[in-house]
Amino acid sequence: MSQDDGFIAKILSILASLKLTLFVFFALAGASVIGTLLPQGMGSAELESQFSPTMALIIDRLSLNNLYHSGWFRVLLLLLCMNLLACTLDRLPKTVRLLKREDDSFTAEKIARFSHSRTFVTEMKVDQAAPMLRFAVEEVFGPIRVLKDSDTFCAVSEKGRWSRLMVYGVHLSVLVVLAGAIMGSVFGFKGFMNLPEGESADEVILGGGGGHFILLPFKIRCDKFDVSFYDTGLPKDYRSDLSILEDNREVLKESIRVNDPLTYKGVTFYQASYGNMLKTAELVLTDRESGKTMSMIVPFQQVRNIPGTDDVLRISEYQESFMNFGPALGIVVGKGGPENVAGSWILVNRPDFHGNKVHNYQIRVMGTERVSYTGLQVKKDPGVVLVWVGFSLMIIGIGLTFYSSHKKIWVCVESNGERGGSLVAIAGRASRDVQGFEEKFAELSKHLEDRLPT
Amino acid sequence: MTSSFLLSITTFAYLACTVVYLSGTVFRAKHLLKLGTILGVATLLIQTAGICLRWVESYQMGYGHAPLSNLYESLVFAAWAIMLTYLVFEARVKQRALGVFPALFAFLAMAYASFSKDMDSRIQPLLPALKSNWLIAHVITCFLGYAAFAVSFGISVLYLYRKRSNPGNPNPGPKGAFAILPDALHLEVFNYQMILFGFLWLSVGIITGSVWANSAWGTYWSWDPKETWSLITWLIYAALLHARTMKGWKGERVAWLSMLGFGCVLFTYFGVNFLATGLHRYAR
Ligand code: HEM
Repeated sequence: MSQDDGFIAKILSILASLKLTLFVFFALAGASVIGTLLPQGMGSAELESQFSPTMALIIDRLSLNNLYHSGWFRVLLLLLCMNLLACTLDRLPKTVRLLKREDDSFTAEKIARFSHSRTFVTEMKVDQAAPMLRFAVEEVFGPIRVLKDSDTFCAVSEKGRWSRLMVYGVHLSVLVVLAGAIMGSVFGFKGFMNLPEGESADEVILGGGGGHFILLPFKIRCDKFDVSFYDTGLPKDYRSDLSILEDNREVLKESIRVNDPLTYKGVTFYQASYGNMLKTAELVLTDRESGKTMSMIVPFQQVRNIPGTDDVLRISEYQESFMNFGPALGIVVGKGGPENVAGSWILVNRPDFHGNKVHNYQIRVMGTERVSYTGLQVKKDPGVVLVWVGFSLMIIGIGLTFYSSHKKIWVCVESNGERGGSLVAIAGRASRDVQGFEEKFAELSKHLEDRLPT
Repeated sequence: MTSSFLLSITTFAYLACTVVYLSGTVFRAKHLLKLGTILGVATLLIQTAGICLRWVESYQMGYGHAPLSNLYESLVFAAWAIMLTYLVFEARVKQRALGVFPALFAFLAMAYASFSKDMDSRIQPLLPALKSNWLIAHVITCFLGYAAFAVSFGISVLYLYRKRSNPGNPNPGPKGAFAILPDALHLEVFNYQMILFGFLWLSVGIITGSVWANSAWGTYWSWDPKETWSLITWLIYAALLHARTMKGWKGERVAWLSMLGFGCVLFTYFGVNFLATGLHRYAR
């Protein structure tokens, strides 16, 4: 049993050690260096084309191409948290005990060993020197607490005890931020939606590929999208006027712009991008076998019968700028129904291009009707409040840790035995701002030098 | 008078300031060091006027934004922040002999901004994402942090020099070049104070940056290379602070870590631009 205890104690002491802290800090820093030098999110095909087989294998095994989401990176973060918790459990009780402890009385000899100390020999008696000392200390440092006031006089003056606890606030803040981040990734989502002007939707496509999406419990409509430019041609401002619809009833109208999002029921909409989307296209088809032509208006992504035939047609894709040839439609034709299909890109601005054909049809685009859409980043993050709390705590904590100080002065007057008069000793200690403290201490010493007759 | 005129005076004045500080330190001449301080303060004032004027000019052009938006403006601000931080520090610790490196860094930043071929010093309009008060807070606080780390780098170099030129004796006597420097014990304390200041502001800088990212893109952290490198920098200095509470790590190792940390600062600032694209790449 004692062996077990020893083992556990050893693990705990490693967990609470600053050596582990340094290891974790350097490991996280090193991992992040790799994460920025090696492009993240490369697929296995890309890996194999860019690296030798062994390198590709190593990168793949260690998830170096998806490092920040890899298991071992999370283990490092977990280790940091455990290190912090263990260290706090180890130290906090000691610090609290230290802060709570009542001062024992002391002798001049004892405090003379402190790093800042002075001893004066004076002909004043103890009951004369004590009030004088007390006055000087209160003038320079602040209120004094008397521990013993008889034949010898002992007192302390103390400021900023609480400052010793501030570092625990910093450490707590790290845990709060990480807790907020975990909450966000477990209970939140992040995705985007492209919303054409005048239309409403509730479908958010989730990031990370794979085409997963979720449905919002309400709909959002884009009433108007606007982009303005500087005279240099750079974009100046993007703006979307949005409405929130509950059961097709408008409940909220608001415009968003970059850096000024809209939040409704915990879901936030950010202005992210914009573009044009196809609504309908007017096509003229020429059957290259019979020479017959027919014209039709086709809504984007809907299947239409080609007039006078058994064939069907669908505009499945639209690109604003297709390989520098301007806009292009991705058209799919099913010969005699949706089985025997073929498709091609049809250039809008070059109707005579010979490649504008699918199956036996030469296709010309006579016109397109486009709508602009607004690109919205959609996010729900219930952890973000915790992250903000953690951030605030961290800044306040670091500020107070660095710029507050626990300062303490010990003073003591003893009778100087047969020689008569008394022995005045002062000592002091500061947790921080040692320089400022040294100056005060020197000022006090000077006061005493001037006022204590020798 | 235009802002670019004032800023080109600034460049040369920082060079003069560097030379004066260096000669004052090498020749142990107190009056030269005092002249260094006077030059530093005067240059800082001229530069402040230059930056303010540039701000006004951007309003006259109809763009109206704080001069913190591209690489040129950020380099000018970096030089300003380094000298401001150093001069306040100098006044507080009453030590003039540490000005060489800060003045040199301020000069180099200004020279790079002024003379580099691929630097665009025109006043440009702001892209929509950059229009945010959080961004201004982010840039100012980050640069205060970087400035403190630059000063700390200088102190670390001097500390190591001091330690090595008199091994075994932390408080060498008044002989030899650089004898006007504070003793090693004091240099260590100054260095620590500078790092505390830098760490505080770097933390505030990273945090305001992530608040900004959250309002612009909806993520407070996206592992963008610049973001990641500022975290690496932060981790190095956090490691330094903790190493300092361990026995035996105080003096030289802390100085080395501070120099490593400043290397990370430089990479965060310049190196990342050569890495893959990210949100922070300054428009050229
Ligand atoms: C990202 C995580 C952390 C941050 C931001 C942080 C921050 C800080 C800061 C700012 C200080 C004051 C430094 C100084 O006085 O020079 C400090 C001190 C300290 N930290 Fe951390 N720390 C972190 C993690 C840890 C961990 C994991 C441990 C575990 C052992 C730890 C143990 C300590 C100790 C023992 C001190 C000295 C406390 C004292 O002076 O009484 N820290 N920390």
